[in-house]
Amino acid sequence: MRKTGAFLIFVLAGGCFAQAIADRAWQLEAAGNGADARALLEKAVRDNPRDVAGATALAEYLDRHGDPGTRAAYLKLLPLVDSDSTRKSAVARRLALLDLLAGDSSGAQRHLETYRAAGGTGLQIANAPTPSQPSSIIEIPGPIRSFARMAALSPDLKEEEVLGALARNVVTNGYQAANSSEALDQTEYLKLVVRYLSQARELAKLSGESKTIKVETCESTATADLLRVLGYRMRGGCGGELVLETVNASRAFLTIDSGFPLADLEQALRSNRPFSYNYAPTKVPVLYTADYWLTAKEKEKGEFIDAFLGDPSLCRLYLAMSKLDPNTANELRKNLTVQRIKAFSHVLDFFGGMIQIKNGKVPVPGGQKATPGWTDLAGVAPDTGSAFVERLISRDDGWLASYYDSLMRIEGPVLEYLTEPARMKRFYGALRGRVTSPGPARPVFRANTELMLLTTRMRMELNGKPHVPGGVEVWKQLFVQHPHGKYDGKLTKAASGWKDPDDVIEALFALCRKAVENEPLKIFMSVSDINRRREKALEPTTVDKLMRSFKVYGSQYPLFAEAPELGDKTILHYMDTAQSVFQIRDQGLKADTAGTLQGLVSLWQILHRQESLASADADVALAEILTPFAKIRSNRELFDAGRSGISTVLKYTKSPANANPSDRLLDLLAGTATPSDAEAHRQLVQNMIKLTEAQRLPSIKLLFDVADHLEAVGKGEKVNTALLNRLASRISEIQVPRAAMTTVEKNAMAFGYWTERHIDQQRKFNIRAQVEKAAADAEKLKDLRAHLAPMLRDAIVGLSYVHYAPPGAQILQTNPIFVRSHDFLGLQGSPQTWKHTEVFGTGWPSSAGGRLVGSLASLPYALAEAEQNFLVPSREQALIWGDLVPQMILTAKVPRWWNVPTSLVHWVGLHMREGESLLAEAALSDSRRQKVMDSLDRHAPPARARRIEYLLAAGKVPEALEQTTPAELFLLAADLAETDPGHLGADIRRLAAAQKDKLSYAAVSRAFGTPKPTLSNNNGPELLHLRTFPTLMGYSSRIMAESWESNLLYYAALADELHISPAQLNVLIPEWTQKTVERIFATHLEDWPALLRSLRAVGTDVRSQSRGGAAGAGIQ
Amino acid sequence: MRKLWIVGVAAALVGGAWLYAQDPARPTFRVKVDMVVLSFTVTDSKGKWVNGLKASDFRILEDGIVQKVNTFAEGNKTPVQVLENGQTRPMVVNAEEREKGNAADAFVGTNVFVLFDTSNYMYRGFVYASDAIADFIRGLDRADSVAVYTFSRNLSRPASLQKDHLEAIRGLRKAVAGDDAALYNALLLTLRDAANVPGRKVVIVFSNGPDNASMVAPDDVRVVAEDEGIPIYVISTNDASRDPVSTSVFKRISTRTGGQVYFAKTWQKQVEAFESIRESLGNSYTVTYYPQQNSNEQFRKVAVEIVSDVGKKYRVRARPGYRPKSGF
Repeated sequence: MRKTGAFLIFVLAGGCFAQAIADRAWQLEAAGNGADARALLEKAVRDNPRDVAGATALAEYLDRHGDPGTRAAYLKLLPLVDSDSTRKSAVARRLALLDLLAGDSSGAQRHLETYRAAGGTGLQIANAPTPSQPSSIIEIPGPIRSFARMAALSPDLKEEEVLGALARNVVTNGYQAANSSEALDQTEYLKLVVRYLSQARELAKLSGESKTIKVETCESTATADLLRVLGYRMRGGCGGELVLETVNASRAFLTIDSGFPLADLEQALRSNRPFSYNYAPTKVPVLYTADYWLTAKEKEKGEFIDAFLGDPSLCRLYLAMSKLDPNTANELRKNLTVQRIKAFSHVLDFFGGMIQIKNGKVPVPGGQKATPGWTDLAGVAPDTGSAFVERLISRDDGWLASYYDSLMRIEGPVLEYLTEPARMKRFYGALRGRVTSPGPARPVFRANTELMLLTTRMRMELNGKPHVPGGVEVWKQLFVQHPHGKYDGKLTKAASGWKDPDDVIEALFALCRKAVENEPLKIFMSVSDINRRREKALEPTTVDKLMRSFKVYGSQYPLFAEAPELGDKTILHYMDTAQSVFQIRDQGLKADTAGTLQGLVSLWQILHRQESLASADADVALAEILTPFAKIRSNRELFDAGRSGISTVLKYTKSPANANPSDRLLDLLAGTATPSDAEAHRQLVQNMIKLTEAQRLPSIKLLFDVADHLEAVGKGEKVNTALLNRLASRISEIQVPRAAMTTVEKNAMAFGYWTERHIDQQRKFNIRAQVEKAAADAEKLKDLRAHLAPMLRDAIVGLSYVHYAPPGAQILQTNPIFVRSHDFLGLQGSPQTWKHTEVFGTGWPSSAGGRLVGSLASLPYALAEAEQNFLVPSREQALIWGDLVPQMILTAKVPRWWNVPTSLVHWVGLHMREGESLLAEAALSDSRRQKVMDSLDRHAPPARARRIEYLLAAGKVPEALEQTTPAELFLLAADLAETDPGHLGADIRRLAAAQKDKLSYAAVSRAFGTPKPTLSNNNGPELLHLRTFPTLMGYSSRIMAESWESNLLYYAALADELHISPAQLNVLIPEWTQKTVERIFATHLEDWPALLRSLRAVGTDVRSQSRGGAAGAGIQ
Repeated sequence: MRKLWIVGVAAALVGGAWLYAQDPARPTFRVKVDMVVLSFTVTDSKGKWVNGLKASDFRILEDGIVQKVNTFAEGNKTPVQVLENGQTRPMVVNAEEREKGNAADAFVGTNVFVLFDTSNYMYRGFVYASDAIADFIRGLDRADSVAVYTFSRNLSRPASLQKDHLEAIRGLRKAVAGDDAALYNALLLTLRDAANVPGRKVVIVFSNGPDNASMVAPDDVRVVAEDEGIPIYVISTNDASRDPVSTSVFKRISTRTGGQVYFAKTWQKQVEAFESIRESLGNSYTVTYYPQQNSNEQFRKVAVEIVSDVGKKYRVRARPGYRPKSGF
């Protein structure tokens, strides 16, 4: 049936004239001029409303763009094709799909009947009952809104999700180790929840049979009883003067914190009107009935919710089971006792998410070929189903389960390699070690990120061996000579015999079990990522240098990964220069040199990323920037080196010879040399100027002019007072850090000593007095430019700050010395000159505000991290996710869309709509559903994939769509584009064929991928199509955030729908991102549905504003 | 005269003089000459409010330059227009200006922004603070608008600026206890909101001081308040002696903006502090003016002189000055 898709109908329908219009419209659309295409088609339909070809072309156009008028257009088309059964059935089929997507099943049913009447066969709306888990209902006293506030649950949770989310909160936040024993103490969070339940029960009692708290009059006993429970009393007599005031602080706290409508009660009492408040208990389903979870003894003790909150191991078990796919959970429940599963609930919680039992068998990584291996490792065969799972989770404190989990997440040649039976056993042995305790599932958040990173990011050479950067020999030397102390005694001993890449990989597996920092793995990942996109891998000597320098300079390596054009020579040049800067003894000069150099390199990186600096010039440009910094001995040399760096950047960005460097650099940073949208470009430039001014930064041109003038004065030119005054004026605006510190604090603030000195030196520089003092001595006048070097550093560093400024940029707008305060040295003894950028000094009333410390390597992330607390949640506060938000901001600020063709945006939009359409098709045909699920099983975790499958089998398309991420929709369309395309598959192929040079999945990855500085050691945008990572411990939870790739794809589809040009995305995506963040209301770190809801809510707002605006302007 | 008023406001909104371009070729930045709103209180030698003074009793100076006052108001009374000859007359504004928020009643009453610390640090005093704030809102003049904001790590706006005081109390009673405290971040965002509102405005901070999450320094926030002409009142629930750093910061940000700080550990003291703030609002004078030509692009010192106070017995409390805004 797909071959009778709408596009073909159109072709068959064509009258010559309509055909010509449709062709013209398509050309316009393909060229990125969708709005004109639409206008042309709408005019054609207005001029000739009975013309089938025109009406078809318009309906298809609207369909391709996800326009809300699509259904109406097809409905108008339907009677026009009444006499042609083939066309009629195709239109009816499309209408049925659109009805399903809109949740209109009766409409879909009607159109399927039309479809069948016109000769169509094989489709019907699936209506299989959604397999339901056995469950019972428990009651939680009081309204869900109040309980959710107290238990920190999102009020958007569905009833069946409440206990699972609560279990997670109890596991992660409910208990802490007691000081004196091995027992666990309740945290303040849990104590409050328990106390709230107690108060809620008292209130429930007052609500009586009617489940409504009623107060008829102010003076009634009911009032007194209610106020006692709430912890309040009346001040002033009943009537207008009455005020409720706290009498019992603990109770009153619960009253307010749980959102009891106290103000309404007070107002009712003041006006002597009845007060009524529905206090019906909250009914939530409990998986497998309450009896499954509780022992007879526990049941006697009280209600389920009390037993649940009082037993963290029960919560962990509940959490683990609720994460499993329902079939698997049922199998385990049937075959294992609850006590048995409970004993390993921590393993199941961390590593159960990828386990499935299908038809009594457990699919294993590597498939049939690997089955003997898994049988060997587990001790039973995977086809024993729950018995295999039991062994998997219970065998070795969780190591085997973690191994299984990591391998289940990958596919392709790496999986082939790792699941070769002998190798699988060997690597498992290394991972497991001799002593298995403590296992990987002991903490509350999973700790062994390394294993997942290793298996996910490993890559294979053409010879079937894993890529080992630099070859085995350099790794052998690293382990034998271990520049910073032994990694592992046993491995050091074994390393001397290494011959094969397998030996290195085995060692890396062995190190994954260590709780301490795993430097070799980090080196392996980092250097592998440098090699990943290079035509020629790094030479062993280069790799050796990078390995040995990793501890100090490793944070700089993403720079090399982002620019595969860099030769070994330039990379080594960079390392040597960095080392030379590191060795400068004068701390002030060292900080200024590092800042100037890093600022220039950051400019080079941005301009290379934005393609303003040609790929072919990247290597030579960086080498030229580096050269003058090789041996800096004075500020005068530093100024010249900085100036030379700016000239190099301008030269390789094809800047006019007489260009004002400040203006030119801002233009380049805002966009390309010839921006496609002048207005968007102007906005970005203005924002940057505004922030530069807020930071009181001198312009680079002014500094260069002053330097030139000083030299000219030395040659006899008259002093240009106006010019010197301009600089003096700017210097006078530099403020001293406003600190009011005690001695203790001053001592503690040694961290910022050099930055304060840096600022102070600039403030004290009196250029007019210095020029006078130098009289006409040419050398002395030339030397004065040494004083300009610290200012040049700030001006250059400031450019990167304003380029990456997060939406709102409150810090840059408010703290005028934020850029100048960047500390390139850090604490004595822990030099941070070349380390990651970090945020320091938050929340210290006596300090001069927070500042950034370290190199500029991760400046965009640090700026986003520093700014995130300025975002204002649209609902209750403080439920924004810590690690996700900076990553979302980073994703909105690092990539730019100046060079993205409109057709690529449309191509992404087509994929998203094709993905939606395929989901709808899956609800009409079993065979189609199987294909769709085959794809989704590769991208979504099993439990969610099954949920989607059940919903599709029940014909609930909008609900299934709600469960599918934009990234998965995109991949679904991409997976089936060639073999089993849906309604829009032909359009996807047609457009790709017409613009082969512009449209590809690699191009989408570059344009709408996300930077992944920790996951792929690269700030360049990229799509990795990984299943979203689970919560990982500490710093590594950034990796979880980096695995989320849906935002930009979603925004691209939105832009396509609303005919927003790619250039405008440079302004809009940061705004949309801010709104998305402010609307996230998540319960826990892995609450991706909360992010999805927020993303879609912002999309709905944008659509409504855009279409409202368009309608207002007379555009349809 | 009505026309004059409109022209004046329009100039404030769009006008400006070239201030500064580091590179002559890039004409980008300029100073905006916005209307200055200056609120101040007058007390006698015993600290009692001095009421009933007229516009002609005052002389306003900026860097020593005498300013021409446009409007004058006492307490919550409707402002009057000050004519060239020093006489006053009621303000008349047309509908268009009213829509822009430049109506005379924009200066009737005060826009009060209450910023309530709901971080962990306030855990114990949370409910008492909530009661005290509710009492304060109830006692505000009908003409006053009030917003209730809360903060811990982030700012939250449970009740936006409104004249419906009951609704504001509803918002207050919805406050949720949070975790970390980012007082100065939240104060900055509150000031930014307040700056967008025409008329007289104050920010009242209710906190016990500690801040463990802000990225901006108190004095950078204070500068914003100074420049926007927004007095900051602080009610600290801590002993002044227990946290000297916060104490000195609170003193500085309140006095330098024309506000005041109260250290009120007990509920009773908090009520008294609010009462004092309310009195201060009700007994203040507000003038507006467009600054006379002044080449000073930096901090401009503002002084309020009482010409009728020959014996210099009165004390004026006002913000010490402001920096002219820069922008496009």
